[in-house]
Amino acid sequence: MSSVTQIAPTPVAPAVTRPRSRKRLRKAGWNVLGLVVLAVMVFPVYWMVSTAFKPGHDILSYTPQWIPTHPVLSNFTDAIHQQFFWNAVKNSLIVTTVVVVLSLVLAFLAALALAKFSFYGRKPFIVVILGVQMVPLAALIIPLYILMSRVHQVDKLSGVIVMYLTFVLPFAVWTLRGFLLGVPKELEESAMVDGATRFGAFVRILLPLLGPGLVATSIFAFIQAWNEFIIAYVFLHTPEKQTLMVWLASFTTLRGTDWGPLMAGATMCSLPVIVFFVLVQRKIAFGLTAGAVKG
Amino acid sequence: MAEIEFVHVSKSYGDTPAVRDLNLKVGEGEFVVLVGPSGCGKTTALRMVAGLEEITEGEIRIGDRVVNELAPRDRDIAMVFQNYALYPHKTVYENLAFGLRMRKVPKDEQRRRVEEIARKLGLADMLNRRPSQLSGGQRQRVAMGRAIVREPKAFLMDEPLSNLDAKLRVQMRAEIARIQKALEVTTLYVTHDQVEAMTMGDRVAVMRDGILQQVDTPQRLYDLPANLFVASFVGSPPMNLFEADVESDGAQLVFGDTRLDLGARSLRDYKGRRVVVGIRPEEVREASGWDGAHVGGRVLLVEALGAEQLVHIEIAATPLERADLVDAAAQPPGPSLGVEELERSVTLLGRFDRHLLLTPGEAVEVAIDPRLLHFFDLETGAALPTADVPAVAGVAG
Repeated sequence: MSSVTQIAPTPVAPAVTRPRSRKRLRKAGWNVLGLVVLAVMVFPVYWMVSTAFKPGHDILSYTPQWIPTHPVLSNFTDAIHQQFFWNAVKNSLIVTTVVVVLSLVLAFLAALALAKFSFYGRKPFIVVILGVQMVPLAALIIPLYILMSRVHQVDKLSGVIVMYLTFVLPFAVWTLRGFLLGVPKELEESAMVDGATRFGAFVRILLPLLGPGLVATSIFAFIQAWNEFIIAYVFLHTPEKQTLMVWLASFTTLRGTDWGPLMAGATMCSLPVIVFFVLVQRKIAFGLTAGAVKG
Repeated sequence: MAEIEFVHVSKSYGDTPAVRDLNLKVGEGEFVVLVGPSGCGKTTALRMVAGLEEITEGEIRIGDRVVNELAPRDRDIAMVFQNYALYPHKTVYENLAFGLRMRKVPKDEQRRRVEEIARKLGLADMLNRRPSQLSGGQRQRVAMGRAIVREPKAFLMDEPLSNLDAKLRVQMRAEIARIQKALEVTTLYVTHDQVEAMTMGDRVAVMRDGILQQVDTPQRLYDLPANLFVASFVGSPPMNLFEADVESDGAQLVFGDTRLDLGARSLRDYKGRRVVVGIRPEEVREASGWDGAHVGGRVLLVEALGAEQLVHIEIAATPLERADLVDAAAQPPGPSLGVEELERSVTLLGRFDRHLLLTPGEAVEVAIDPRLLHFFDLETGAALPTADVPAVAGVAG
């Protein structure tokens, strides 16, 4: 496109042309690969959204309908009027909000301790935090169920919240610790010499610089808590107490799956995650500490 | 304004000592520079004054208060960090005002003082910028301003110029010295650069391996180094050092084929022993017209510096073997491969007039005047008293 604007032919040494065109070819190859990966990732989302707008016969037709020719909203109204929808929305919001807030507070304090103080057993603690993330969830679910039932936390939102925190916290602590280590220690030292208390230096200097880390962590916590299915499915029996992801599963019954409303429900369930991400992503401005020290 | 005093201060990390039995007093309004190679404990000493490092043993006093247990904020000192440590999320104004805000200085007073400092340091039109939008020199000024605006009892500076390029460093060096003189604030300044130390300090304290080697005015440090380390550390290019034997009468010095009459500088206590001889590059002279023993040598290399030239001259003498006694950066160059006839040779660095025409390979005679020599004990590295110069006080003050 831009080559059209060229006014005079640029003299190019013949020896240079070949490597340059090869370079361009390689670049094009990578771009095509990138587009393929993008398509693979976006297609399921597109299929979910488009199916949500298709009438029943279009969904089940043997020749796939790529674009809904007669879009309908009935799937959405069906989904909303499905039993326990508003209960599920409320439960999901409670669980997610509590998990995000608690994980941020706890992870910030824990990361602070790990990054800024030296204490006995710090190294093993860091290794354990990394290690627990390697354990597969499926291996833990039965022992955890037994454990939670002993403390009467099965079929309760509080039980699910505690469970989610155990999975979110290690990652959050690890991430925030990394961000904290990136803040030069001279900044808080300088604040302390300037008249701040240790805690004051944390709040006035470290916390604002940790913005991107807190945003990254909160996005992770939000996605984990909002999208989680297995734990919620196993721990929450009563329909009134179920979260949205479990509620979605109720479209699959013994008589088959009601695809239209299911996809409409799934589309609606994805919206909060997208909205949350759009709201906070601007805060992920890396390099916020630029200019603090010579670099 | 206050004095800073170290009284038998030691600091160790586990079993590793960082500072050993440091005694040093920075007088009111005085500018003292702590200098030494990296890892010598100078920064640790400074951080102990700031309260950022605990004191293992001893006492640190600021004014008449022992501050060992005092939090940094209660010590009323200001510190300039090597990397400036500006708050990146705050504007220049907020950076400058931070200390005042922490001390609950009224808002309009804050504004008045910040604006005054900004004007003095040429930062007045950048008050709304963030540190990332400033050049290195400007950041350095903000860091200085943040210290000055507080009007503290003392300034602590930890290599504040080491991140600047060479030209700016020379400029800021003079500026800091000027500001310090104008404000008359007690200042403890840490650097590894001996030129900085010599040019800025009222007094210079040389440290090595956690031990204070000598404290004195820059000139006395240069003229009368207390030991081999100080002699080799202070001065650029460093002092020439080689080994020589004292004749049994103590009046003559022998190295290579040279026999040097010591005259008034006779080393009576070192009769028949081997000592270390030091001579500053500017005291190595082309022989014609100068007193002292004339020593034959050969030009290895001529470095033209414009105003003068540095000439490397190889003479017959025994090189100093005890590398552990001198500054690592000032190690004497190894024997050259080109001069086989000189069995053991030493390369003397001479600071010569630029009009002297010398070419590499040329034979040359240098005059070595015994009155300009420094003598050191080969075992301990301590400066030797001679008949005319009594023992040099190592750690005074």
